[in-house]
Amino acid sequence: MKEFKIGMNAKLDMLKFKNLGEEREKEIEKSASTSVKDSSLTNTLAGILHPKGIKVQVFHIVKETEDTKSFYLKPVKLESMPPFLAGQYVTLAVTIDGRTYKRPYSISSSPNSLEMYRITVKKEKNGIVSTYLFHECEVGSTFNLLGPFGHFTYQPLRDSKDVVFLAGGSGITPFMAFLQNQKFLEKIHSLTLFYGAKSEFDLIFKKEIDEICSKNKKIKVIYVLSEQKRSDYAYGFIDEEKILQVGVENKSFFVSGPIKMYFSLNEIFKKLDIPNKFIRHEIFREIPEDLVEQNFQLTIKMNDKTLTIPCNGKETLLQSMEKGRVKTLAHCTVGECGFCRSKLLSGEVKTEDSCVHEADKEAHYIHPCVTYPLSDVTIEVPIK
Amino acid sequence: MENKEYDVIVIGSGNAGLVSALTLQKKGKKVLLLEKGRVVGGLASSFIRGRFEFDTSLHQLCEFGTKEDSDAVYDLFSRLEIVDKISVEALPETFAVYTLEHKEKYVMPVGKDAFLLKMEEYVPGSTKSMEEFFSLCEETKAALSYLNESKGHPETEVLMEKYPHFMVVAPYSIEKVLKKIDMPLKAQEILCSYWSYLGSPASKLSFIHYASMVYSYITKGPVIFKKSSHAISLLLSEEFVKNGGTLKCLTGVKEILTQNNEVIGVVTDSNEKFLTRHILANLSPNVVYGQLIQNDFVPDKAKSLTNLRNFGARGVSVYLGLNKTMKELGLENSTYFVYHSLDSDREFKRMHDIFSGNLAATLKNTSPDTSSLVLTNLIFGDAFDKLVTKENYFEIKEKLAESLVSSFEKVTGVNIHDAIEEIEVATPVTFARYTGHPEGVIYGYLATSHDNLLPRIMNEENEVFIKGLRFCGGFGSRLSGYSSTYINGEMEALKTLGEMENERV
Repeated sequence: MKEFKIGMNAKLDMLKFKNLGEEREKEIEKSASTSVKDSSLTNTLAGILHPKGIKVQVFHIVKETEDTKSFYLKPVKLESMPPFLAGQYVTLAVTIDGRTYKRPYSISSSPNSLEMYRITVKKEKNGIVSTYLFHECEVGSTFNLLGPFGHFTYQPLRDSKDVVFLAGGSGITPFMAFLQNQKFLEKIHSLTLFYGAKSEFDLIFKKEIDEICSKNKKIKVIYVLSEQKRSDYAYGFIDEEKILQVGVENKSFFVSGPIKMYFSLNEIFKKLDIPNKFIRHEIFREIPEDLVEQNFQLTIKMNDKTLTIPCNGKETLLQSMEKGRVKTLAHCTVGECGFCRSKLLSGEVKTEDSCVHEADKEAHYIHPCVTYPLSDVTIEVPIK
Repeated sequence: MENKEYDVIVIGSGNAGLVSALTLQKKGKKVLLLEKGRVVGGLASSFIRGRFEFDTSLHQLCEFGTKEDSDAVYDLFSRLEIVDKISVEALPETFAVYTLEHKEKYVMPVGKDAFLLKMEEYVPGSTKSMEEFFSLCEETKAALSYLNESKGHPETEVLMEKYPHFMVVAPYSIEKVLKKIDMPLKAQEILCSYWSYLGSPASKLSFIHYASMVYSYITKGPVIFKKSSHAISLLLSEEFVKNGGTLKCLTGVKEILTQNNEVIGVVTDSNEKFLTRHILANLSPNVVYGQLIQNDFVPDKAKSLTNLRNFGARGVSVYLGLNKTMKELGLENSTYFVYHSLDSDREFKRMHDIFSGNLAATLKNTSPDTSSLVLTNLIFGDAFDKLVTKENYFEIKEKLAESLVSSFEKVTGVNIHDAIEEIEVATPVTFARYTGHPEGVIYGYLATSHDNLLPRIMNEENEVFIKGLRFCGGFGSRLSGYSSTYINGEMEALKTLGEMENERV
């Protein structure tokens, strides 16, 4: 029988096998014992693009309308703000009376000018944070900023080159980043912006928008006023008729505005048979209608600590935690990002779980930012 | 500062970290598992976009099998008493491989006989050498389990008598052995299509390593997790906690403390100190020796070995949620390899460019009317670092996604673009962000000559440079990949257990 061998002969092959370890030893001996490299440019870039938190200072404030203000934020330590994609948001951590609240705001400045970010805040009725920012925040105030985050972005592989933006009220903010982004405008064929507001005085950034449109023939803007009739503006809401006028065939729709607008537009999209791929939503929180004002206890386990705070059937667990001065990891506050992911140990809740992983649902994980208590509740929160 | 003592501290909750922590906890040890991220699992995770949940990294799980015909990972999960909670889906074929240059297409089935027949159909006259290959695989598998049982001290006589062929082929590359058994070149190339899963060309990959993996894929068939890798990681971590283990997420390790070249504890990034004499590090030796232990306390030989090693592949993954089913798309395979040619040396070289267009794809139906397609392109060397800046990062990301989707469309003739409902792209920057691996490496160290499977296993015990500090996971002795890291997690746990028992004596 022929000898089975790979090299000169089987014996040498076996010897070679036995020597594999020794050969490795020899290589090690030849190698330098200088200090070990633990990172590269890629790691540095990861740190620049995804910083753990940025300290920013307000250096300019503009009152845009009766109830909106823009805040211009510059980094305190960093040379520039992290690059972002038009449509992304940051989370602002605002401390009021010793309680820290986190709120997401779309970046309304251009992705090309990273010396600062601009965010635009609408004063909400009973809004703790927006009221504070509107009335108390001054030039020189500093905040901790998280992000940028978010997927409300233009993806050339997925989205049509013919784009329709549907903005309602302060929902215009993410679109301002798109409108100022030359790279995005180069990629598309046409852009129609529907911008709905109560009256002409509620149109934020109108001057800026008109100026951008006058310079770029691809962009068409249609202002829609719901409480004011004027011959040069459309009247009513952004509805089926108005959308059909610009055509829907093979167009990508980006929606950012109040929740009522999402619902009415979704009905229209459904009726017009527009595929999911062509509908993009800015993040939003759906507030259930059947919430009951009732007081409960929320028990929070964090590593070795346990504490109990009051909570209410009309407030999310996250809101109760903010009020109860519990540090949270929350970023988006609308159920999407998963940063506040916590395990429900006991109690009944009403929750929104479209962004909870399948396995997490089965293991009773919830996102406290979109969870309302229906009884006393105990949760385990991943925080130090 | 809190002073707490544990029998073992596991740093990192990737596959190997989770399995080792659970293994040790079940053996009655007091284990602390530290994870710097929010969630356990490392790369074995998932994420949600729209109505899709994407698996972060799993393409095919090897060495699983079935209850009746189980393989190593199935047996491991049985020992951990979790196998009943894991449901897998068997994939219909091993792979479909396409070439861009000559428009070749080969689809290889599961099952030894079916694989052999198909190969004969594609490459007439290949059967004899394929049979010889399978018999070498069987001997290799048996020999490797003997090597494991002997804990690195095999008896030469036993090896000579029972595994003579194994000893002959063991020092050589898969390419060299296939040539020697006169396998027709085309059959060699088709058989070696999996090379990119292991991250080295056929001329560099050890026969033992490649053969044991491909043999399992062919005979037992590849599987994927029905839910997600995240589900498995979560299950492992919950079992660990149920068994009394302490898991701390959002807790990175800042320093590993040593004294007289022995492990004594760790300091976390929030300055908590935990004492232990045994650490299992589920992360790269580069980070451990370069960052976590003070340079003066790192033995020279540890530095020399780490400096000697080359990083394996980095990757770009494009995750696509499609609004059509596989049938509607007209695609029936679940695993695709797309290369310019089947010459792995050439392709390995080509993949030092980030826009090679070569890829591995995983396709599955995700609901009655959708499917998900994940395209992964490996990158070798430092091309990514050289090209990418913070200014061009987003543009490059878009271009990479575009190039992979068009590659896939080109070879399959199927329009993917129009079906894309969700898209996400992960680059080495993304992997660096979540894992902290240097260069965002996903494959550990490059499997080549002195750093192939056998030399790693043979020398492992000599390479415990600091007493009580062992490595597990993709940078460890069994190299990267799901099955390897699960199995390695248990192996290293048992070795740590052995050390503890020796100390007691």
